[in-house]
Amino acid sequence: MFYRRAGIRHTSYRAERQLWPLPFDRALVALVFALLVLAPLYLGDLYLAGYLLPWIIWSTAALGLNFLMGGAGQIHLGYGAVMAIGAYTSVHLVRAGVPLEVAMIGGGLASAAIGIMFGAAALRVKGLYLAMATLAMQYIVDFVISHVPAISGGTQATIQVPTVRFLGVPIVGNTATYYMALAVGTVVTLFMLNARRTSLGRALAAVREKDYAAEVIGVGTLRYKLLAFWISSFIGGVVGAVLAVCYLRSISPDQFHIELSIQLVAMVIVGGLGSVLGSFFGAALILFAPIVLNNVIGSLSDTFALSISSDLRAHVPLMLYGALIIGFLLWEPLGLAKIYANVRDYFLVWPFRHARR
Amino acid sequence: MTLNRRDFVAGAAAIGLAAPLPLGRALAQEKVIRLGMPQDFTRVYTFVTAEYSQGQRDYFTLINDRGGINGHKLLAEVSDHGNDVPRAIEAYERLKQQGAVLIDPLSTPVARALVPRALQDQINMLTTLSGRSDAADGSVFPYVMPLSPNYWTQAGILVDFFRQQDKDLKGKRIVLVHIDTPFGREPLPVFQALGKKLGYEFQAFPYTPPGNDQSAIWPQVRRARPDWVVFWGAGVGQTVALSEAVRNGIRMDRVSSSVWLSESDMEVAGKSETKGVLKFEACAGGREPKLIQEILKDVVGKGKGAGPEGKVGTSYYNIGVMMAAIITEGVRVAFQKAPNGPVTGPWLNEGLRAITNFTAEGLMPPMTSTKADHQGGGRGRVVRWDGAKFVPATDWFTANQDLVWDEIRKASAEFKASGK
Repeated sequence: MFYRRAGIRHTSYRAERQLWPLPFDRALVALVFALLVLAPLYLGDLYLAGYLLPWIIWSTAALGLNFLMGGAGQIHLGYGAVMAIGAYTSVHLVRAGVPLEVAMIGGGLASAAIGIMFGAAALRVKGLYLAMATLAMQYIVDFVISHVPAISGGTQATIQVPTVRFLGVPIVGNTATYYMALAVGTVVTLFMLNARRTSLGRALAAVREKDYAAEVIGVGTLRYKLLAFWISSFIGGVVGAVLAVCYLRSISPDQFHIELSIQLVAMVIVGGLGSVLGSFFGAALILFAPIVLNNVIGSLSDTFALSISSDLRAHVPLMLYGALIIGFLLWEPLGLAKIYANVRDYFLVWPFRHARR
Repeated sequence: MTLNRRDFVAGAAAIGLAAPLPLGRALAQEKVIRLGMPQDFTRVYTFVTAEYSQGQRDYFTLINDRGGINGHKLLAEVSDHGNDVPRAIEAYERLKQQGAVLIDPLSTPVARALVPRALQDQINMLTTLSGRSDAADGSVFPYVMPLSPNYWTQAGILVDFFRQQDKDLKGKRIVLVHIDTPFGREPLPVFQALGKKLGYEFQAFPYTPPGNDQSAIWPQVRRARPDWVVFWGAGVGQTVALSEAVRNGIRMDRVSSSVWLSESDMEVAGKSETKGVLKFEACAGGREPKLIQEILKDVVGKGKGAGPEGKVGTSYYNIGVMMAAIITEGVRVAFQKAPNGPVTGPWLNEGLRAITNFTAEGLMPPMTSTKADHQGGGRGRVVRWDGAKFVPATDWFTANQDLVWDEIRKASAEFKASGK
């Protein structure tokens, strides 16, 4: 009915390997992208700066982490620190007069250089032990940033991001910042979509499933694990720069603490390991569920004049949020992306349910 | 009842769809001045927020029941930002859209992140005893309003109190035990500069955040044989510091805290063991002040209190009342200057920056804010714990403001050079 799979015959490898073989999927992607591009025209400041912009930025960060966790199977609990390195490097470069485009790349390279050092631990340790090694990175980077005034910026430990230009456009106000974040997000998304069908993606999948089996079939685990850390950290650094320039506008060490890393890991797991779409869903859930629940509970208690104490009113959303995450993991451990896939599978054959695969 | 996957997903989706529904308030017809109070009720500032917010809301209830200011009601929009920057920015944008003229985040990280936005959108941001200390320089931060003594002033007043007690600090040793974060390191320059000026020896002992284990630090403090000990943290770090000080036999009447020490902290550390501990106070605690009495009679007594009655009159509750009273005074002055409004951020800004000798009927020291001085004069006093409550050890005073303002101007100049 919607998807119309009948009659599609692939006569070349190219056609068969398209990202979206079904016309319906292509139309849906184009529609969503068009809505995102036109968002500043029909959305107010609240939804543009309060919801869409952070969603794009956090999704891009989750994509970078997902490349490592879902793509190469290496856990990383210090992704917030990776973003901090990118943010601080790029902001200091910009303040030194380097153009933003170069500073962003510089931030990415700095993150990649430091990230790969801790990634080297992955060559020796796996699983929980790697989690500890990356956690150490989080704390070491936090410590260095907040204890070196030259990095963190004096007694107030805050540095302002000067007004900068990106590709000739001054990054001020909500629209320009949104488009810059969207541009970077689009590039990273395209990279992630395509990475999976390259030899790199397949090699990483082999490493993810069993690293010594990968070594046996001729995939160099040394090279690919380090490469995975390098790429993921590079993306993290660039996103850190975007976060600083487009969203935070003044950065301080506490914005990149362990909370950010845990938030990103949660986004990847709740969204779906290895899924591009899942990163977007996961970011939306983790970022906005607390806000939405708070607003719903708040307006309910106002409208019906419930006399609940402010303590309870503040904590009920937290309980619901926790229940929501546990619920999603219990009933759909493969993540939000799998829920979408279930719905899609249903409509693939709708209304002929008996024909389901 | 069994819950299956489809029901769960449908329920979650229903919450999401219900969110944007406008469940409006009945106050739409009245003339209101919207004040945004997104604060941290759940994460880091839990030790202060509940009592602070309760004090603010009780005071606004008191004023509104008396007819408000110039026919306008003061409407405090309270929500939780959980000390999380994205949530705070969402709350800020939402409040901006609703026409809030003031925002009070009561969180240093959130205030730091909101400074560029508040300056750009011309929304007054209250940074009670938090945020950037250099925001006292009103010429650089026109819309950031500490309106309370900053940490440099607190350090300056404490050292001056020590000088008053010992007559001369030459050759004495002052020790600062502080949380190892930018907030904890903030008073260091003032202690060091005063040490050079007054001739005392200064030593700093940092502990790792959040400070629930300080057992390695306090024996070193004891061995340093300090004449005065100042401990500088917030929340759990404070009670642990006090307990460790007791355990290491440090003389309690020579130990002092910054403003962040409350009655409930003393209960945790032991009410009688900590007898004699000093702290800085920005406004009077307890139930004696006239405003607190009025709140007890007209708000709490009539069942309109915003929280448990037992919390009325605690240190943090009274700080909330003080800040609400300062906001209200700012609104009153703004109406004096421009009786017909319109009620906007710049309109309230004119009022908040022209408060003269305001004491909130004896709750606080005389406060005068100007376009240059957003700190309001930097007055406070030192109080001593007598085993049941904090008793004033000095009158309201201020000290070492020249040195404090050197720090303020140095930091605000850095901000000015980096911004825009």
